[in-house]
Amino acid sequence: MLRPTLRTLPSTLKSLTTTRLHSTTTTTATTSVSPNELSHFSSLASSWWDPQGPSRVLHLMNPVRHDFIASCLAESTPITTIPSTPTDAPKRNTLRYLDIGCGGGIFAESLARTIPTTTDPASSTPTRTRAAEITALDPSSTLIKIARDHARLDPVVEGHLETGRFKYVNSTLEEYIPTLTSTTTTPTSTTNGSQEGGKKFDVVTLFEVIEHIDNVPGSITPQGFLSSCLSMVKPGGWLIGSTIARTFPSWIVNQVIAEAPWPVGVVPKGTHEWSKFVNPGELQAWVQEGLMRGADGGARRGGSEVLEGMSWRCEGVVYFPGLGWKIVKGSESWGNYFWAVRKGV
Amino acid sequence: MRPLSRTALRPYVCPSCQLGRLPARRRYASHSSSNGPAPEIYDVVCVGGGPAGLGLLAALRASPVTSKLKVALIETQDLQKARSWSLDAQHYSNRVSSLTPSSVSFLKKIGAWDHLDTSRAQPYQEMQVWDGETGSRISFDWSMETSAFEDLRTVATMTENANLVRALLSRIAASGDENLSLFSNSTVSSITNGSDTPDGPNLSAWPVLSITPTGSAPSQPPTRIAARLLVGADGINSPVRRFADIATDGWDYNRHGIVASLSLADLDPAPFPVGMRTAYQRFLPSLGGPIALLPLPNNNATLVWSTTVENAAYLKSLSPKAFLAMVNAAFRLSMTDLQYMLRMERPATAVSDLEDPHENELTWRLEHTPQPSHIPPMVTGVQEGSVASFPLRFRHAATYVSPRVALVGDAAHVIHPLAGQGLNLGLGDVASLAQTIEYAVHHGMDVGDLLTLERYAGDRYATNAKIGGACDVLHKLYNVPGNGPVAWARSLGLDLVDRVPFVKGLLMKGAEGW
Repeated sequence: MLRPTLRTLPSTLKSLTTTRLHSTTTTTATTSVSPNELSHFSSLASSWWDPQGPSRVLHLMNPVRHDFIASCLAESTPITTIPSTPTDAPKRNTLRYLDIGCGGGIFAESLARTIPTTTDPASSTPTRTRAAEITALDPSSTLIKIARDHARLDPVVEGHLETGRFKYVNSTLEEYIPTLTSTTTTPTSTTNGSQEGGKKFDVVTLFEVIEHIDNVPGSITPQGFLSSCLSMVKPGGWLIGSTIARTFPSWIVNQVIAEAPWPVGVVPKGTHEWSKFVNPGELQAWVQEGLMRGADGGARRGGSEVLEGMSWRCEGVVYFPGLGWKIVKGSESWGNYFWAVRKGV
Repeated sequence: MRPLSRTALRPYVCPSCQLGRLPARRRYASHSSSNGPAPEIYDVVCVGGGPAGLGLLAALRASPVTSKLKVALIETQDLQKARSWSLDAQHYSNRVSSLTPSSVSFLKKIGAWDHLDTSRAQPYQEMQVWDGETGSRISFDWSMETSAFEDLRTVATMTENANLVRALLSRIAASGDENLSLFSNSTVSSITNGSDTPDGPNLSAWPVLSITPTGSAPSQPPTRIAARLLVGADGINSPVRRFADIATDGWDYNRHGIVASLSLADLDPAPFPVGMRTAYQRFLPSLGGPIALLPLPNNNATLVWSTTVENAAYLKSLSPKAFLAMVNAAFRLSMTDLQYMLRMERPATAVSDLEDPHENELTWRLEHTPQPSHIPPMVTGVQEGSVASFPLRFRHAATYVSPRVALVGDAAHVIHPLAGQGLNLGLGDVASLAQTIEYAVHHGMDVGDLLTLERYAGDRYATNAKIGGACDVLHKLYNVPGNGPVAWARSLGLDLVDRVPFVKGLLMKGAEGW
């Protein structure tokens, strides 16, 4: 039980602490990256897509993300009405995805690959992800470049980048939200459900991001960040993420074992900030708070009624060396877990 | 001994650990290739249209997840001819394979079994294996685990390779021709890496094949196609393996396998229960390997006799009558008798049927040799032109995968035929690779990516090494002549296995999954 997390965390965290910062004061955060972190990150960047490199465990987790999304969609697929074919619309590939903190594009690219190459993805055979388009955000320009360069290695993905069904945006979420509310429209926007929903997304993904957001007074807290993420989700849509729990087993693994001197430890001391890890209960509370804040209007405050239509899922995953990641029921507090929240319609 | 220890170690080396390097050389060309217009892009390109390559294609076409992939297959032979192959009920091709139940269920799953002419396929329910030196014996059947009211379970099903290939081809044809290209009568003249187009995709790590129809004018430009995943199902000298710069090691056994299509005398007494068929294999340690007689419909059988190169040449030079006498002798006479008969002078001129010296020798010697009860019926005829031989070899590629390349079947491994597992391993590879590709499509993975392919290699490498190694050990064990300690130990082992039903049951269950 210890070994899995030990094997996982070094690579996930090493990559993420430095790169997927989605924190707080948007402009200062991106410019305040220290030279130390930059050089550490550059050495990692070249190996981002190396299947045997430091990001290997992250690559191995990617199929589980698809499995988890599929299980969420099986529970409830966001309904996007196509005027001509309203009856079987839920079966088609109409979903718009937003991947926040896409890094080198491991998940975003794999999701883009599931978008049909036909002229109208919405009307082709239903895929597992039901994806019609995806926008991927990351504040690091270096990582966005790596992601774009890698996408060119696959003609299908490259084709989606050209048609605009797949977009990489070098931006933080806080910078990106205002651009949506202005005049920009999506090029293949066949899926406008309502006026409001047109700018929003059916599925927003947040993989290995939330645990890297500083929880300091005076800046944007993880809770505030989650509220922003939730504001991007259409009613009936999903916010799906994965993170690491802050519990005694994960403290042993991350602080005591993983950062022990060589050869026991595999990460330099100080790589992990265990105190930033998030427990499922805290996350659920933040999400509920975020949903209620989202319902706050000018004149009235949103109450618990917004929570009635919501749905919460949480599943622990464990890395078994040689076998890969497996969903293990009840292991949410051991370390890595997936979580999802569906906004009420 | 070095090669043996290397094989023995291989299962313990994690295949993914062997992938740590990118091939230094990625180029295969019989002559220089031309840089023409951009190649057409395919998801899966399979080189080789044997049972493994066609099996992969049929499996991909059969699954709803992978049926939309754009696939191509390149074969030097005429696939149209293979499609229209036909023989009458009394004639059988000499290239016959024994399909394990798991191979059969794979073929059923992909819908190919319905296209097979099952009247030409023969399941058998019992296997008699014995040591010609010591006489100890093991019989494989399911009788101890099957109640009297059930049908006996099948050990394996004998099928002509041509019948299987035809079935796979018509299964593929039944899937329609959308997203499918069959390059029949075509050779791969070169495989190179593609190029990076400035305002298009970067194909510099994609294999690009130049395909030339056989007999076409040299001036005609070859067809160029790019492969997301290039599958080498192209046999022991695999050009795909050479392109990927994957090393292969192994050895030649200095043995040849003699095959022939035979007809048998009526069984006496008639088999019980009715329809029960038996395969026979007798190890002949002094002659270089086992002789096996495997049943085909209508009292026909196929022969696989592994023996030294000299013996093989001698046997092939015999008249049909003398050849039949030798086959019958090999299941009945002692090692000394057989060695004598393999050195008999062959008559320079044709002799009358009554006076064939081998036949006379057999008749005379049989009178002085007590016979056990488990020998096969007498072989009475050999189909004209069906006696052939092939060299026996062991090969195992260092890895099955490389970026955008996967090897299946003989391109990945060649093993001793004594357990009849070669084709089954190939079909096992193909079933695993098809499943891997399906998983990749389902999870948004690139089907040619190493992260995808290592799933396939991890699934198959140890299994194939284990079975290839087991066949190799059996071959070596049964090549120690005389009655020394090795012969004593192997007989003890065989007798023990035969008498302890639990062990035997385990072995047979293992064999089913082979």
